[in-house]
Amino acid sequence: MKMEDMSLSGLDNTKLEALAHDVYSDLVEDACLGLCFEVHRAVKQGYFFLDETDQESLKDFEIVDQPGVDIFGQVYNQWKNKECVCPNCNRSIAASRFAPHLEKCLGMGRNSSRIANRRIASSNNTSKSESDQEDNDDINDNDWSYGSEKKPKKRKSEKNPNSPRRSKSLKHKNGELSSSVNPDLYKYNYSSGISYETLGPEELQSILTTQCGVVSEHTKKMCTRSALPDSDTMLENDGYDAADGQLIMSRLQWDGSSDISPSDSASSKASTNNSESKRPKKKKKPSALSMSSSGGGGERDKGQERERDRDRVAGSSGSTSSQNALGLPSRKKRPKLPVPPAPTIYDDLN
Amino acid sequence: MSKESQMRAAINQKLIEMGERERLKELLRAKLIECGWRDQIKALCKDVIKEKGIENVTVEDLVAGVTPKGRALVPDSVKKELLQRIRAFLAQHST
Repeated sequence: MKMEDMSLSGLDNTKLEALAHDVYSDLVEDACLGLCFEVHRAVKQGYFFLDETDQESLKDFEIVDQPGVDIFGQVYNQWKNKECVCPNCNRSIAASRFAPHLEKCLGMGRNSSRIANRRIASSNNTSKSESDQEDNDDINDNDWSYGSEKKPKKRKSEKNPNSPRRSKSLKHKNGELSSSVNPDLYKYNYSSGISYETLGPEELQSILTTQCGVVSEHTKKMCTRSALPDSDTMLENDGYDAADGQLIMSRLQWDGSSDISPSDSASSKASTNNSESKRPKKKKKPSALSMSSSGGGGERDKGQERERDRDRVAGSSGSTSSQNALGLPSRKKRPKLPVPPAPTIYDDLN
Repeated sequence: MSKESQMRAAINQKLIEMGERERLKELLRAKLIECGWRDQIKALCKDVIKEKGIENVTVEDLVAGVTPKGRALVPDSVKKELLQRIRAFLAQHST
């Protein structure tokens, strides 16, 4: 018999069958052994008997099917009405508002620095405008604001009633002083929607004796800064009053009835009225008030009016150049605005 | 007989070389799981473990306690099918 003869023909069927059975047995034994190894490992690792928990433990984790409660039995909005105490300011805050409050309170959110900068800018504006009108130029470049002092706090509270940050110093994430336009704009939101067209002359008079009355070109609203008499400058104004009171009154009456556009002419008029209200933070020169007579609106551009507002000099708008030179001690503000339009109103008067 | 043993060795070698043995193994495993044989053997193992204690049970204990019963518990259908495939292989490759 040759060893290389692999043929099975020499073997009878029984042997063949025996061979097949042997192969089969080997296979089954392999399967058993594999299973034993798995079980042994599971026992030693500790996960073999996991499916044999007792009934009590099983009951603890049964699926809950009650209304108002999830399948674990937890209530959905259990913590909604709870109040948390802020560790920073020690205030009691509602849970759902706690995270935003913390953001502002600690000064670490995305918006917190922006708001802080805005507050600081506005508070700078208000304090500055009270004490020193001249320095407002750089801050309030775009606006007529004197910094209505009573309003900023109210304005901010509109935006964020829960914010405790008014008294805190906040770190600035970026160096920006948030645009001066924005805070200034807010200052005038509250101001009445007064337009000079709608008011009668008596109303105008009463308003303008107590308030600034200058209509901002940006917001088209009237500046409601109160007229604060200044003892220093009052003396200078006496002469002015006597001389030009009549003229102003007449103009005032005329102004109330006319149809004025909210742009330059309005501000011109406002400036006129403003001077009339004798609110002299700055020194008013008597000559400056002859603006009305001059008639030429040559200087009556917006820039002039703004400066006049700040300096409280009445005559800038309609006055001649000489008057302007006199009347405006510190006109740092450059007239950004274009050349004045045709002042037809005053031409008519003259 | 040596011829027989040689034959056997040759056949086994061929089975492995051609991958047939692996295929047969997988087939058997699948069939045993399907028919529930695996769970039965697991239950047997649990008995052995509880008898010997978790900490002291060894692989040999399990094998010795379970394999004979395991062999006996294989369903006939599975056994027949497997034998059929083995015979076919032998017939095909024995020449």
